[in-house]
Amino acid sequence: MNRLALRLARRELRGGLKGFSVFVACLALGVAAIAGVGSVSLAVQRGIAADARPILGGDVEISQRLYPVREDALAWLGQNGRMASTTEMRAMARPPKAEGVGARPVLVELKAVDAAYPLYGTMTLSPAMPLAEALEERGGVFGAAVDSGVLHRLDIALGDRLRIGETEFELRAVIEHEPDRGTSAFSLGPRAMIAAAALPATELVRPGSMVRYNHRVRLAPDADIGALIENLHTAFPDAAWRLRGLSDAALGMRRFLGNIAVYLTLVGLTTLLVGGVGVANAVKSHLDTRTATIATYKCLGAPNGLVFRIYLFQILALALLGTVIGLAIGIAVPFSLSGVLAENLPITAKLAVYPGPVALAAGFGLLTALTFSLWPLGRLRQVPGAALFRDLVAPSARWPAWRDLAATGICALALIALAVATSDDRWLTAVFAIGAAVALALFRAAAALTTFLAKRAGAKPARLAGRPSLRLALANLHRPGAPTSNVIVSLGIGLTVLVAVVLAQASVDGQVRERMPDLAPSFFFVDIQPDQVADFDATVRSVPGIERMERVPALRGRLTRIGGVPTDEAVIDDDVKWVTRSDRGITYAAEQPGNLHLAAGDWWPTDYDGPPLVSFDQRAAEGMGLGIGDSITVNVLGREFEARIANLREIDWSELGINFFFVFAPGTFEAAPQTHIATAYTRDPAVEDALERAVADRFANVSAIRVRDALDAISSSMDKVSLAVRATAGVTLLAGILVLAGAVAAGHRRRVYDAVILKVLGVTRADILKAYLLEYGLLGLATAVIAVALGSAAGWALTTRTMHIPWRFAPEAVTSVALIATVITLFAGFVDTWRALARKPAPLLRNE
Amino acid sequence: MTPLQTTPQKPDAASEIGAAEPIVELSSIALTLESGAGKVNILRGIDLMVAAGERIGVVGPSGSGKSTMMMIAAGLERPSSGLVRIAGQDLAAMDEDDLALFRRDRIGIVFQSFHLVPTMTALENVAVPLEFAGWRDAFEQAAAALEEVGLSHRTTHYPGQLSGGEQQRVALARAVATEPDLLLADEPTGNLDGETGMAVIDLLFAMQERIGATLMLITHDRDLTARCGRVVRMKDGRIIDGGMPP
Repeated sequence: MNRLALRLARRELRGGLKGFSVFVACLALGVAAIAGVGSVSLAVQRGIAADARPILGGDVEISQRLYPVREDALAWLGQNGRMASTTEMRAMARPPKAEGVGARPVLVELKAVDAAYPLYGTMTLSPAMPLAEALEERGGVFGAAVDSGVLHRLDIALGDRLRIGETEFELRAVIEHEPDRGTSAFSLGPRAMIAAAALPATELVRPGSMVRYNHRVRLAPDADIGALIENLHTAFPDAAWRLRGLSDAALGMRRFLGNIAVYLTLVGLTTLLVGGVGVANAVKSHLDTRTATIATYKCLGAPNGLVFRIYLFQILALALLGTVIGLAIGIAVPFSLSGVLAENLPITAKLAVYPGPVALAAGFGLLTALTFSLWPLGRLRQVPGAALFRDLVAPSARWPAWRDLAATGICALALIALAVATSDDRWLTAVFAIGAAVALALFRAAAALTTFLAKRAGAKPARLAGRPSLRLALANLHRPGAPTSNVIVSLGIGLTVLVAVVLAQASVDGQVRERMPDLAPSFFFVDIQPDQVADFDATVRSVPGIERMERVPALRGRLTRIGGVPTDEAVIDDDVKWVTRSDRGITYAAEQPGNLHLAAGDWWPTDYDGPPLVSFDQRAAEGMGLGIGDSITVNVLGREFEARIANLREIDWSELGINFFFVFAPGTFEAAPQTHIATAYTRDPAVEDALERAVADRFANVSAIRVRDALDAISSSMDKVSLAVRATAGVTLLAGILVLAGAVAAGHRRRVYDAVILKVLGVTRADILKAYLLEYGLLGLATAVIAVALGSAAGWALTTRTMHIPWRFAPEAVTSVALIATVITLFAGFVDTWRALARKPAPLLRNE
Repeated sequence: MTPLQTTPQKPDAASEIGAAEPIVELSSIALTLESGAGKVNILRGIDLMVAAGERIGVVGPSGSGKSTMMMIAAGLERPSSGLVRIAGQDLAAMDEDDLALFRRDRIGIVFQSFHLVPTMTALENVAVPLEFAGWRDAFEQAAAALEEVGLSHRTTHYPGQLSGGEQQRVALARAVATEPDLLLADEPTGNLDGETGMAVIDLLFAMQERIGATLMLITHDRDLTARCGRVVRMKDGRIIDGGMPP
């Protein structure tokens, strides 16, 4: 039976793939998107893994903020292999003192390295020279190597001097490549590298300064890294350092890219979902054109099962073709993006053909094809031969047999299971699957509503008397076999994704480019020493045009226990886990700061003098199951401080003012080594420059972070990400357009026939064109309205629930998308109608 | 755009073109089509005159050019050469849209294959030409036309839900709804059984008489030709008999 079915399927396919181009293209597009995203993501991950040693700077790294790692630990570490140490901090670089007074300084990411650096990878300088030579002391002056940005911004050249902190350096080389350059999304300034021996002379390292001490070890090739890390934990159980092995290299970036890959894969799956509608349409159209053949098979005694299989095999063959084309494109994507990746990522992606993402995309493609084909195929089995001829005008509302329904359900579940099981964020993917099902149902309902409204509007023809084109257009929207539902669902989903992405992006833009700069201070000044605060305040206030300044003591510490339970053993919600991953800001205050909003509990008395109390972030507390009266422990400078939560605060990080996770009551940290952090507000760029110069001239150790520059860096990183997201959303829209084109093409024969009959009945071409354009215009408009409504809802949810930023509706963006929808459908309708009108009537009217 | 009107007055064919002037005048009509095998002469010099109010039957073997002649008379096909004058108007001088408007006002056509729009109800099928002709009461008129052909109970049905005879009656109602001067019927009973076909023909003749139209009926049925005032015989793209009124 299968052989016969195969033979008959092959015979039918000999007639060509006419009508199946949309089927193949839809699948190819979805499969290509998923295979492409998967391959790029894996190429980047493999790139990170391959370069893990140079990226980490060693096989193992311990890193500690604020104060040096204890000597015995370093000695212990040094016994296990060759060790390299670096000290990193932010600092201001300026031209030499004599000529530099009043010159605008540059915030640099300063890195002091020892002779062993780098342990892995190569430092490339221009002009080419060994790093040691570039940094060594010559005639009492140490050398420095910097990013070319420092040269441009300070307007100095190689051989010139530059001042960092309290000493001067000779600029000897420009850094071309730094193997362990941070892989974070952005940095606040260009790199300046000096010798470790030169650091004391800068006098930048003071008690409480924001310094990071890194120590990396290069182990013997056969060394057991896991055992070493374990031993280090055992030997120094209370150490506050961050310990990282090779698997942690570029962890932040991997996490970030992983999240993007999850989102892009979901967009890819949406493309397949839209493509699935196209698949179902194509299968139905194909079966419609085969009604006579199917009826003939049945009349000749072919059992239902055989007929079903003939067409199932055809569908499978075409699904395979679409999948293979999609895979070929998906495999090519990382290679074609190699330039873009090299330009935008601090690591080298390892381009290759990865079987994993390819197999996964193939699985998605074939399962999608089956899920969306089995329903129309199943109906075929249920419909008696004679009814096949009437299906167009009297669609038999028959459902497929239970086993075909079950098979459809199993394929759909397998598709969801595959998506969820292979995702890095299973919860999100499961939510997406539910959301997709709901969206499909909503779109079907919206399409049914549109059809109903069109029917209602045309129900009393007298009301439309004198507007026959409009009546015809409205009637065409609800006629049997009208493409209304399919177009609204397929094009609508593509547009919804686009609307959601565009609106989420508009909200982010509004936040970063408009609201933040409006609310944010002009500068953050860090590393102000306690003995400098009075002078610092006076200096800032002496600059005319400064609207406001704030200054508070600042320490950093890591949350180590929650209610007595170590953080790595405590149950913490995923969305607040980041709080425990690194040091967080700590300050203390007697009075409740003006910008601080209490959500629960009370502020302590200004003269409080009791056991440690702390004010904590409300959202983090919820995620950690903490409430008023519970205790938390923070490790500051190696010492543990346990405090009871006195109150919880709502922190709006987006205002970019001074905010701390932990605000302690007086009595705990006053004597601890600390610095101060300050903000200054002005809207005048000239005042900003004056303030920066005034502070830099007077306080060599104080770093000034320009908030606008930081926001620009964030914006530029976001632009790259949003481009990737929009490109993938564009693919979804393309799939929607393909489905629209398919639906239009499927109805073309009928439209040609209708146009001919209308011409016979005396309707002019202009009237026919008007009627069809009205029909497509209304269809486009209905699709746009629904997509804008659902896309806005999705965008709102994405913005307020996932990104936690204020929602901003962007009417201009939404209008553009609505226009796109209307123009696309109108264009499709115009092309279709134009072709229909060009046909001569006589050949179609001759007696068959 | 035709101004809105309720049952607009159609021009009186007899008064406009004069009783003596023929409503159909085909003179030296030839049609040659290009095909893969070379030129095919479909019509080879047709001369036909039909007077207003006349009922003629056109007969001839398959491929003799009957339907093509009818298409040319309806302005649906342009001849390679010759003159086509319908109701005193030279069709060669009209463009496609002029021809459409001319058909709308002057010509009703019934096909063997009915050619109803499958996705429109019976009522809509009949109302379409009236709507585009600017009749405000298009649907009332269409309903009346359907009642006349005995299908008032089938107005909301789609063609696929109607029998062949019913479909042809809808087509008939559509053709006469605008009360044209010229009715063209191309083997209207060709797809129907004898009894149903006869009922349709009875209706066709009755309606022709009621509106005073000229009827050109293509048929293979000798009984039908007997009910026509004149029989035009065609063979190999030529009229071999009956081309001119007696």
